[in-house]
Amino acid sequence: MINKKGIHAAFIALALTGSLLTTGPAFAAGTLTVSSPQDPGSWDPVDTFLVNWASVSTNIFDGLTYRGPDRKLVPGLATAWEELDGGKRLRFTLREGVKFHNGEPFNAEAVKYTFDRLLGEEGSKGPQKSNYAAIEKVEIIDDKTVDLHLKAPDPVLLTKLAGYGAMIVPPKYIQEKGEDYFNTHPVGTGPFKFVSYEPKVAIKLEAFADHWGGAPKLSNLDFRFIAEPATAVAELQAGRVDLVIPPTIPIGMIPTIQGDDKLEIVSTPGPTVYALRFNTRDGITKDPKVRKALILGVDRDTIIQSILGGQAAPIASFQGELSFGFDPTMKPLPYDPEQAKALLKEAGVAPGASVQIDVRGNDATFNEVVQAVASYLQLVGINATIKPYETNVLLNDIIPAGKTGAMFQQAWGGWTLDYDNTAYSMYHSGEKWNPYDKDADLDKLLESQRSIIDQPKREEILKQIANYAADRALEMPLYNLNAIYGVSKRVKNFTPVPDSRLRLTDVTVE
Amino acid sequence: MAGFLIKRVLQAVFVVFVVTLTVSFAIRLTGDPALMLAQGAGSITEEDLARIREALGLNQPFLAQYFAFIKGMFVFDFGRSFMGGTPVSQLISAALPATMMLAFASLIVSIVISIPLGIKAAVARGKWADQAIRILSLVGLSFPNFWLAIMLVLLFSITLKWLPPSGMDGFASFIMPAVTMGIILTATNVRLVRTAMLETLQSQYIMVARAKGLSESKVLYKHALRNCAIPLITYFGLQFGGLLGGIVVVERVFNWPGMGTLAFDAVGARDYPVLQACITVLSLMIVGVNLIVDIAYGLVDPRIRTE
Repeated sequence: MINKKGIHAAFIALALTGSLLTTGPAFAAGTLTVSSPQDPGSWDPVDTFLVNWASVSTNIFDGLTYRGPDRKLVPGLATAWEELDGGKRLRFTLREGVKFHNGEPFNAEAVKYTFDRLLGEEGSKGPQKSNYAAIEKVEIIDDKTVDLHLKAPDPVLLTKLAGYGAMIVPPKYIQEKGEDYFNTHPVGTGPFKFVSYEPKVAIKLEAFADHWGGAPKLSNLDFRFIAEPATAVAELQAGRVDLVIPPTIPIGMIPTIQGDDKLEIVSTPGPTVYALRFNTRDGITKDPKVRKALILGVDRDTIIQSILGGQAAPIASFQGELSFGFDPTMKPLPYDPEQAKALLKEAGVAPGASVQIDVRGNDATFNEVVQAVASYLQLVGINATIKPYETNVLLNDIIPAGKTGAMFQQAWGGWTLDYDNTAYSMYHSGEKWNPYDKDADLDKLLESQRSIIDQPKREEILKQIANYAADRALEMPLYNLNAIYGVSKRVKNFTPVPDSRLRLTDVTVE
Repeated sequence: MAGFLIKRVLQAVFVVFVVTLTVSFAIRLTGDPALMLAQGAGSITEEDLARIREALGLNQPFLAQYFAFIKGMFVFDFGRSFMGGTPVSQLISAALPATMMLAFASLIVSIVISIPLGIKAAVARGKWADQAIRILSLVGLSFPNFWLAIMLVLLFSITLKWLPPSGMDGFASFIMPAVTMGIILTATNVRLVRTAMLETLQSQYIMVARAKGLSESKVLYKHALRNCAIPLITYFGLQFGGLLGGIVVVERVFNWPGMGTLAFDAVGARDYPVLQACITVLSLMIVGVNLIVDIAYGLVDPRIRTE
């Protein structure tokens, strides 16, 4: 019977292709393959804010300053700097003998070109320029010395010079090859140099032996772009990827990785904090007593342990422990449903009152969290309804227009890990992210620290702001989520970074 | 005949026009790409946003943007991606062959499975083999393709380590995505082959062939299958168009660098030029295939062109 043979033939063909084409993982010695969830589309530092741009580019480029996983600001392409004119001028002494990957020398010319480009026409097309608006101009003092003239002192500028838009780029290369070419063929002074880039698929780098900090230990560094968490984890399990970087692995997949004896989960506190912020202008949450009651009524520690698998830390203000301005003496409000009920009664809120909580619909983990929050609120007599939105709609239309329910999800975290960025955006009157609250005292505090370059003094004011916001119960602080990495055990010397700015110079592979 | 041709071509042009206009308009309702790009910038001002919009060409009126897009379409210039400024035509040239190859491979998998099964079901009409094949095809139809994909990955990539779990890298990487798509198609195709075969097997020439004493295999594959091939080929051809659109989920699970992945990412990033181009190219292909089938029918069957 031919038809039976036909079926057999089909199955045999399938089975054969399966076994004949078995290709085991074959790596050249010293290649690390990283799975990154997003291709930023351009490697030009002025073009993007995506954290996964930084995961790759921190290996290609250097800034004048450098900030590693310990968050200490150390010399990068500048060996020293000093503040002049009361913080309105920064003088940098540049490292000597440094070359770009194409052989072009690094000097004062390159620094001036980088910032002229960022603040000029090319930078205007992208989002990075706004972050460096404090810089008025760059003046070349001599070949190894430059001054940054500032419009006003910017206490966070030295940190900002360690990343993103401030990465130093090669003037001659860009002028000769053009901007488009540079987008897809980046050249910097960093420890790895560019080899090839296939949009949406992969970018490959190799060691730059002449790096000023010494050659990296890996010979090759490949990044593959894999958006789907299950796929990235499957590649890790199959041994074709060595490292899966955030934001990829959801809490729910951690046990899969932990269950594989060739893999491990490595995590570190991340920059991202989660809160349910309040509409302080209308409804029952206008009353600070009610807001405090709602915070007291939710057992956030249990949520962290049960839903987040312990991969988060409780917070007392809208910042994590790594943030500059974090006050370790501040403690989160305890879980106290009785006091919550008493406060609600005092505020005249009858049991059965309702609140609406707006969340990002696609954030599966947070949706579980908010359901737990709603159940806790139920226990103190508040009916919470959850309204999911498409992320961009919530962020760009609902929150800025002040059209949220009584509570709304906010996830926030800047790579500078400075509370100024968060607090100013969340609390200053008229800011895009602050549609409801107006507080002249708070505005004054927020503005005052922006012109102070004395960092200990500024830190004190930031702590004061955090305490002030907590006293007014402007949000229900939930947790600081860890940055979660899935790592193959053949990877050695890997240090997780909180802010996705991975520099893989010391990593080795077996 | 000329009138028929002109009518059909004009209809096709109209469909493409409506699709592109709707897509261009609808995607602009989803929000502001400049805000999207600036997410993460704590201190972005309205002026900052205005100059980003200007650089992206979003300060132009909608119709001007739309006509610029249409004009560019004729020279395969779809503008530049908002994410990084890569020319969209370059992205499409890389993604379209990847998707076409996958769709083609899926179709082959489906044909290789569904023809023998469909014939078997037709021959064994009403018997247990027929029932079993029909139930199997129903099961195939009920699989969500992402679930099937994940099961295949678990088995062949993680447990057996035979096949790469994702990416497009050589023949082995085609197997799982093509089988995933192919199995879903097979469900309908088996029924189609069965029905076509049943009709053909009633014909007198089959009776003659059998009477001549030909072997059953010759009767089925040489005489019967060839005669019912025309409607099947037409249907498979149309299916190819549909496949291109339905491939998004499979591409995403297998991280396939095709049109589905490109379009999916573009939606998330509000990358208007890329999304417009993806949908336009896919609709052009679907409309194109339909047009060719229509015209071919018209050529073959005079009744259709005088309709």
